[in-house]
Amino acid sequence: MSHGHSHGDHGHHHHHHHGDGDTSSLPPALDTSVPDAELTPSQLSRRGMLRRTGLLGAGLAAGGVLAGAGEAAASAQQAAQQQAAQQQAAKSSKGNGRYLWLAGDHHIHTQYSSDAKYRVIDHVRQANAHGLDWMVITDHGSVAHAKIGVEKVNPDIVEAREKTDDTLVFQGLEWNIPGAEHGTVFVHPGSNEVAVLKEFENSFDGSVKNASGNSPANEALAIAGVNFLADQVRRRKVKDALFLANHPARKGIDSPHEIRGWRDAQPSIAVGMEGAPGHQAGGIPKPNGPGGGRGIYDGSPSADSFPGYPLESYRTWGGFDWMTSTVGGLWDSLLAEGKPWWITANSDSHNVYADTAVRGPGGDFNANGRYEDPVYGTGISLTDTDFWPGQYSRTHVGASSFAYKAVMDGIRAGRVWVDHGGLISGLDARLSYGGREVTLGGALHVRRGAQVDLTIKISLSNGPNWAQFQPTLARVDVIQGDVTGPVTDKDTFATPKTKVVKSFEVNKSTGTVRLTYSLGRLDKPVYVRLRGTDGNRSAVGINGAAVDPVGPAMDVLGDADPWKDLWFYSNPMWVLPA
Amino acid sequence: MTTPYDPSGVHPVIGVDAGTTTLREADHLIRDLTTTLGLPPGTVACTHLIRTEGRRGTAVSFALPENGSVEEVWRRLTATEMGAALDDRRHGPAGAAAAAAAEHAARRSGRAVLFPGSDQLTGTLTVADLLQLSAVDRVIVVGATSGDSPDPVIPVQTQDHVRPEWREGQLVLALVPAAGNTLAPFEVPNPTPCCADHP
Repeated sequence: MSHGHSHGDHGHHHHHHHGDGDTSSLPPALDTSVPDAELTPSQLSRRGMLRRTGLLGAGLAAGGVLAGAGEAAASAQQAAQQQAAQQQAAKSSKGNGRYLWLAGDHHIHTQYSSDAKYRVIDHVRQANAHGLDWMVITDHGSVAHAKIGVEKVNPDIVEAREKTDDTLVFQGLEWNIPGAEHGTVFVHPGSNEVAVLKEFENSFDGSVKNASGNSPANEALAIAGVNFLADQVRRRKVKDALFLANHPARKGIDSPHEIRGWRDAQPSIAVGMEGAPGHQAGGIPKPNGPGGGRGIYDGSPSADSFPGYPLESYRTWGGFDWMTSTVGGLWDSLLAEGKPWWITANSDSHNVYADTAVRGPGGDFNANGRYEDPVYGTGISLTDTDFWPGQYSRTHVGASSFAYKAVMDGIRAGRVWVDHGGLISGLDARLSYGGREVTLGGALHVRRGAQVDLTIKISLSNGPNWAQFQPTLARVDVIQGDVTGPVTDKDTFATPKTKVVKSFEVNKSTGTVRLTYSLGRLDKPVYVRLRGTDGNRSAVGINGAAVDPVGPAMDVLGDADPWKDLWFYSNPMWVLPA
Repeated sequence: MTTPYDPSGVHPVIGVDAGTTTLREADHLIRDLTTTLGLPPGTVACTHLIRTEGRRGTAVSFALPENGSVEEVWRRLTATEMGAALDDRRHGPAGAAAAAAAEHAARRSGRAVLFPGSDQLTGTLTVADLLQLSAVDRVIVVGATSGDSPDPVIPVQTQDHVRPEWREGQLVLALVPAAGNTLAPFEVPNPTPCCADHP
């Protein structure tokens, strides 16, 4: 091991390898005191990726220096709590409020899922090679998984942590949310990680409990599950736990009131959703691809779907879920409440497009809780819909250190931006007033009438992506909305005061760009978020040209090459005048 | 096909609830009942999403082209244990069946599986032909945020699966852009099933 730690004890009281904040826990690729010559080829490749971002060394950690104490606006109390948490994180790390931006993926399936096939180490090696710093193994909740898989997968994960010490590997599961879609649930590594996940799955999984249909009782069971996770953290059974909703608009069954219900029950546990689903290769045209839907979003309304959702919601837009891609849509209606709800982008990797591996022969999934190890097949799987973790979708988290807890805290704080296809390699966005500033997820407290400025520093792709071309960032959009406070109708999925307020033409693929925008003198709470595109495909937004003149276009079934339509999205920052 | 103005209630509409859950099951039910009930040509058969506390699933409805066959269809239907509704008449657990019949009769909602000309809508044909050959009154293009209506000469790849819906008295077909500057029905014949539960 490169950290100088001892790793002799891998029994019940296994400790994860990465410290909780000391810089000595930096993996070699990130640690500039380790010369290039001492790195393995894979570590050197990771360092090269970081160099491209312009963030290695002194500039390694971009991010906000946080504001001093401010008065909380009533409509954004939780945002203020987030800020307090950020300040705490900043103080407790390296004192300068800088963050490591760690790329990851919280949605990955292995041979312990009935519809997947890879070993844990297959995914971990691939994620590591593709530059991911953290990842979550999320096999489907099911009777077989609850009984067998949730335990059997753990030694594989523990072994992968040992073998690949510069990628953090969380154990989680993909929860069949009662009455709703799927969601990632994951916990901090520790002696109870399996026990807590197992009890959660046995007690609250919609498949295990036969509670998938839409009913008030099932919706209540979902809330009880979120409360259970919070309780496990409170009782220190696990150090931390998070829940994020996956592919939320895919089948129309995550109603707005359910999403608000999870969030409001436990805002420190239920923190967000996939802004972009996985399965991004699903739209590659035939005969070289599956010829289906990007994200496998090809559904229609059903008896369990929320009747208010329009047909537009059942498709992806520029690869992103309609809840996120619609300016003034569902996500904005959540942010306009002044409450945190963050977006991520993941692979949902089950079976990788154009891979040669096939499920191992023999075995019995229901009896063994897993498939046999994959073997070499003789063909190329052009009908598979997924990418490897890190190959196409990345969730970048501003963490105070290279540690499990720091990644979870960063996600909880909303210090998160996402990209597809390596469109950009670094994003440092800050809102500032006077000497104070916040970064993604933060809330800037200012005097009424204060002049607030947005500064965006983007490290362009600066090198090829995993399709071996160098993407060009064509345009960056600043999206701004009023914070209008909690909604009375919990099924609200639109907000009228959010729109694109500024677009920057960039048209570059190398170097960095610095963009500034003045929000003007503010006398009411607002939020801003960012979006950028390669400019290949666009359309007037769903809410019209006055709201989003050049937004993402709806993806076409059977004709949606994901590499030809790249976007990045940031999470929001708030300004709270008082 | 030009549909003459047809005020609600002129055609008898029968609702049926056989306990189906999905649209696929409801489609099969319609095919089965068309045969077993001896439904006359020209019948418009729809599926309906039922979202009440007591019943989550799908029901179906049949608008018969004339009154002559109604009593015989009703007689055959009430020999089964399915819920059924016709005007004020009820058979078995008929709440969902009655709701389906009422929606169809008023042409407020209902996803049409069988309708005049539906058997003509196969393969690829133009928007103009689709409107000409069938009872579909209008097409809309989902995702066409520019608001333009589709060019009548654009080909529609039906995939032999065309399911227009009643909206405010009109049978409206939702289309989406498809590969090669064509259009296709929004609803696909075989959507990807939910992955988790079924090894």
